Amino acid sequence: MIQTLTTYESITTDPYQNLAVEEYLTFHTEPGECILYLWQNAHTVVIGRNQNCWKECRVSELEAEGGHLVRRLSGGGAVYHDLGNLNFTFCMRKEDADVDRQLQVIIEAVASFGLTAEKTGRNDVAINGQKFSGNAFFDSKGCYYHHGTLLLNVDTASMSRFLNPSKAKLQSKGVDSVRSRVVNLSSLCPEITVDTMKQAMFTAFSKVYGLPAVPLCAERLEQTAIQDGRERFSSERWKYGPKIPFTNRLEQRFSWGEVNLDLHVNEGMITEALLSSDSMEADWFSDIGTEFQGLPYRTDILCKALDHSLEQHLVPENIRADLCRMVQEQI
Amino acid sequence: MNYPETLRYSKSHEWVKNEEGMVVIGLTDFAQSELGDLVFVNLPEVDDTVTAGEALGDVESVKAVSDIFSPVSGTVCEINEELLDHPELINEAPYDAWLIKVKDVTDEEELITAAEYETHCQSESNG
Repeated sequence: MIQTLTTYESITTDPYQNLAVEEYLTFHTEPGECILYLWQNAHTVVIGRNQNCWKECRVSELEAEGGHLVRRLSGGGAVYHDLGNLNFTFCMRKEDADVDRQLQVIIEAVASFGLTAEKTGRNDVAINGQKFSGNAFFDSKGCYYHHGTLLLNVDTASMSRFLNPSKAKLQSKGVDSVRSRVVNLSSLCPEITVDTMKQAMFTAFSKVYGLPAVPLCAERLEQTAIQDGRERFSSERWKYGPKIPFTNRLEQRFSWGEVNLDLHVNEGMITEALLSSDSMEADWFSDIGTEFQGLPYRTDILCKALDHSLEQHLVPENIRADLCRMVQEQI
Repeated sequence: MNYPETLRYSKSHEWVKNEEGMVVIGLTDFAQSELGDLVFVNLPEVDDTVTAGEALGDVESVKAVSDIFSPVSGTVCEINEELLDHPELINEAPYDAWLIKVKDVTDEEELITAAEYETHCQSESNG
């Protein structure tokens, strides 16, 4: 039974740090305690534990613009975060978890602004059928978290741009995202800002559980353990490399011929690559495909390797440029 | 709820069966029912080592991601590849849909009988 309520607000917008703190809190919640942790990530796409990042997100574009890709511990689909989004996490022991009660905190918080929200679909909270909060869950060894987003004033143009890669030929195992119609709460009630919503969440937290909420004592956060977590969440292995094998076929017609590049990828690395073309002048094509094997599936690395290889094979400048652009645009 | 008497169980809801010098590990009926419809299973690879009491992989359901704990220490000698494409087999037949087989077992968690496990599950669902 929940007997103690604790609150904590993140002091950073670094997504890897925020996820590391979330994990630390989850594994260090006392029995009978519920921690409400509020946090924000700057310019980030967060994908579910078992998703293919390239299928769900325009990774190269996001990273080229200084954005971050993050893989969370919980399941479900991809979401876009910026400073118009407020994230919450309820950390507690598994036996104390009660999804409806936790969601009631969200519903009460928006009700304090005169808005009527309800749980919809699997794990969403919506107003008039428009989703403003997506929720996901994780548990391990009796430790549990329920976290979610609150769309307050998110840049929806960026959201659509980064979450809609055109990957028609990407065949992957893993969990697919479900598209939803979303709404920013500030468009329904201008009084809703990050600060007023934080306050409303803390007030609703106390109200729903009928207990006073006390801010977390910062000494509970063990910085060395959190730094280890941050390194793990930001590592390429965690972000790009889980065991979700996939294939992608890049294809394009150029003035000099049609090209296909078939890539097989596992744990973020290319296991097999086959470049083929109907072009007469392309007897060097099959050699170049094999040079991709063992390389990470990353636009910048593959472009560089391709360009170098084409140069060595004395491939004409225009074809080199065409192929590099194809890789740049389609991976 | 089904608790076959020929199996042994861990309190974290894995079942264990000895088979020709190997230990076969799966998720119990209670576990799959609590988890809900599974959408993805992460398993270790053949030749990986697993440690009693530590995560050997995880399952994602429509409700949550949950770690799966290894009831034994040893070396993975076979994984159930079919689950990678069909995680729902665990929901349909949890005692047929084994996860991994482990050889060279050096250690095991406290394992309980079917009757003890049934009592354990009842106390958890009442909790």
